[in-house]
Amino acid sequence: MSNLTTIISVAGASFAASFVEAVEALTVVLAVGLARGWRPALTGAAAALAALALIVAILGPLMSAVPIRALQFVVGVLTLLFGLRWLRKAILRAIGIIALHDEDAAFQRETRELSEVGREAYGFDWIGGMTAFKIVLMEGVEVAFIVIAVGAGRGLLGLASAGALAACIAVAAIGAAVHRPLARVPENTLKFAVGIMLSAFGLFWTGESLGVDWPGGDAAILAFVALFLAVALGLVTVLKPREAALA
Amino acid sequence: MIGSVVKELIGLFVDDGLLAASILCAIAFIGALALSGMAPAWLVGLILALALPAALVASVLRGVPRKSRSE
Repeated sequence: MSNLTTIISVAGASFAASFVEAVEALTVVLAVGLARGWRPALTGAAAALAALALIVAILGPLMSAVPIRALQFVVGVLTLLFGLRWLRKAILRAIGIIALHDEDAAFQRETRELSEVGREAYGFDWIGGMTAFKIVLMEGVEVAFIVIAVGAGRGLLGLASAGALAACIAVAAIGAAVHRPLARVPENTLKFAVGIMLSAFGLFWTGESLGVDWPGGDAAILAFVALFLAVALGLVTVLKPREAALA
Repeated sequence: MIGSVVKELIGLFVDDGLLAASILCAIAFIGALALSGMAPAWLVGLILALALPAALVASVLRGVPRKSRSE
């Protein structure tokens, strides 16, 4: 039971979080492609993926040399910082204090800004290429961290990587087919769910690294999911009507 | 370029500085309790499971405009 819980949690959290990151990268790569041409967009994205592969190839083997308790502690604390940050932002967006992220608006803005910048008549378009490189590298680093966050504590990096890879392939395939940003993806709902999952994983790993023997073993992650979900929904339920009344 | 990448990397973990600080302070305090043996493991877990949601609640309430909270 607990193994199945862990497997579903790890693969699901990795897929959902990576999907959100991939959608954000796709928006900018599409904007570069349409505003500056597909050569710099695809070259920049490919160069970023190569850089990411290099980073993972260098840092990956080092992780196995770190004692499991130390790894759980570092990953647990970073996952808490990352997850609670996401969850906080998703709650504030759900309440209406922060505007919802709009992929269409982000796409229009990026396209407009990139179109306004002049370009060389000949040679490679470095502005377009670097824009695609930077966004894919940044979102890719986030995906790599998410994979480590949900998979490293139990040696399930392969499973977490598979979830992330499936999400990136799905987004790339949809993007290639529709040539539009994926504005209909319920991004805040996904971020809300992933923030809860990452916070639960972070709490679990951090506690375990400090010697806490959680009741129920890995199934305690589900209890922490329920805890953060209750807190987050409670905040939205209490604060959203007040904000709506003031609006 | 490298500066903006580093800034964005830090931004992955720190948005509300007080939330990050309260998480780190809570873990440092709880870690000290655990390592010194002053608290049993179950109590360490309980404090951790209460402190982190509390830090989240405090951060969200700080993010809500003051006017709306007082009404």
